[in-house]
Amino acid sequence: MNGAVATVGRDLGRILEALGGLMLISLVLPIVWGEYFALPALLVSAFVPLGIGWVLYRRFEGAEAPGRFHGMIVAASGWFSVGIFGSLPFLLIAWSVQLGVPGFTTPAQTATLAAFTEPLNAIFESMSGFTGTGLTMTDNEEVLPRTLQWWRTFTEWIGGVGVIVLTTAILSRPGSGSLTLYESEARSKKIHPSIVSTVRTIWWIFILFTFGSILALWLAGMPIWGAINHGMTGLATGGFSITDNSIATYDSVAIDFVLIPIMLLGSIAFPVHYLILQGDLRNFYSDLQTRWVFGYMGVGSALLWAFLYFAGPYETPFAALRYGLFQFVSAATCTGFQTAVDATNIALGRWPSYAQLTVAFGMFVGGAAGSTAGGIKLIRGLTLVKGIRYQIADVFYPESAVRRLEINGRRLNEKEASREFMEAAIIVVLWSTFLVVGTFLLLLTLPSGEYSLANVVFEVASAQGNVGLSSGITGPESLPAIGKIAFLFHMWIGRLEIIPVLVMLRTIFKRGGLYQ
Amino acid sequence: MKLGDLPIVSTVFEAGADDRVFDSLLLLGPLVIGLVIVLNRSLVTETLAIVYLGVFVTYVLYRGIR
Repeated sequence: MNGAVATVGRDLGRILEALGGLMLISLVLPIVWGEYFALPALLVSAFVPLGIGWVLYRRFEGAEAPGRFHGMIVAASGWFSVGIFGSLPFLLIAWSVQLGVPGFTTPAQTATLAAFTEPLNAIFESMSGFTGTGLTMTDNEEVLPRTLQWWRTFTEWIGGVGVIVLTTAILSRPGSGSLTLYESEARSKKIHPSIVSTVRTIWWIFILFTFGSILALWLAGMPIWGAINHGMTGLATGGFSITDNSIATYDSVAIDFVLIPIMLLGSIAFPVHYLILQGDLRNFYSDLQTRWVFGYMGVGSALLWAFLYFAGPYETPFAALRYGLFQFVSAATCTGFQTAVDATNIALGRWPSYAQLTVAFGMFVGGAAGSTAGGIKLIRGLTLVKGIRYQIADVFYPESAVRRLEINGRRLNEKEASREFMEAAIIVVLWSTFLVVGTFLLLLTLPSGEYSLANVVFEVASAQGNVGLSSGITGPESLPAIGKIAFLFHMWIGRLEIIPVLVMLRTIFKRGGLYQ
Repeated sequence: MKLGDLPIVSTVFEAGADDRVFDSLLLLGPLVIGLVIVLNRSLVTETLAIVYLGVFVTYVLYRGIR
């Protein structure tokens, strides 16, 4: 037996067991809300991954410890499997209501819930949740059973922690913005020497921030059920909502402005949060990525405000500021909460094209590496810009000159600079390539003339950047099956920063077996 | 028996922040949210929520300044 298969199988088994455990924990919800009809469906949903995970783990229990390549394959296959098996609660609860459960009173079926009787829609919702995207197959979240509202929220919250662990503890490497955070001369030390203690540290910070977010939203006037759900999905920069019109439902200035720092918290690297919580407040400005989170979001929001006020649809400076600031931060942190909807103001899809593309640019860049945000990540964008400047300036120096590239307090020699520049460039090129391919595919499959190019680019960037803002294309009826499958792929590669997925696919298709 | 010997408390103290204030906030968070759920919006629950957030922000600033 291939040793790599055993290692991956063992770890995949653990992930599936954990997924089953999360579903068992969620059994509390139908009991609390009196949705007893959801209990059998949730139980069955839990036992499937638990059973498969248990078999895998027992079968490969003695496998060798994973290396970096195993880590990539486990991450890629794990996220994919969790997306597939995580769809079971959607599918089975929808069918429970559709067919009725003997011995239980079931509510009337709704069009929203009925959409999940289609397996592809259920998988889409689950993948959207676990990747922290927030694009949805529901057309009115309010009518979903509370159990499913919770499961959507929980998938994003767990996915948020998962991606921080992935980037800070498993895939951390020079240039990714994770390892570099620890290694920087300005940093004191690694978060902790071992992965286990790093994961523990991430957990307590994330849980503490979640409590704070929930209470802040509640104090701003949101009902507690909404505050729990939006606090969790806001911090995880996921963006699932429990209301039909996302955050616009509340139409509250206070809630809009409380959510902005919550989304920003999620888009700052968690190693930096750790240092700040230890009392090192200088990291707010001394850390390159954190400085740029504020700088670039400030500039982007100001630009969007100008577009929306001087040349756009809003009549007052405050309205343009309120919606422009919120939507740019929501996009650039890759959260995807929406306040610009027709019910209260002007829908994002009806904003001028240049305003939509400004928001799409925010989605493309994303937040800090080591955070819950998506996109190419700030550190890569900055490495690329500094690297290009470095390469061009090279022409003006003599061959014998010894030059250094300075990034985030680290002075890189020529070899290191080239390696980090190349890594950033590869990610950006791949990201852009998949964006273009996805746009072509969607243009081919959507009814012609119904959506503009800006709409389509916006939607694909939203899926791949794990953002969740929609120009109106995504929906159970409006998005064709091919588009849904393509979006599943975009969300998956976007969350894993492309490379682990390509490594996994290469090992499967080219080698006919796992990495040896 | 010390407070730190209780089952959930000992787990939080062991796996948590290694800081009594943050650990206490981790333990009290679910209690405050639970009270909000049970008692709804009232002067008591609003005060508790404000105090919780206030302690967190003040403590972070205090650690940064000291």
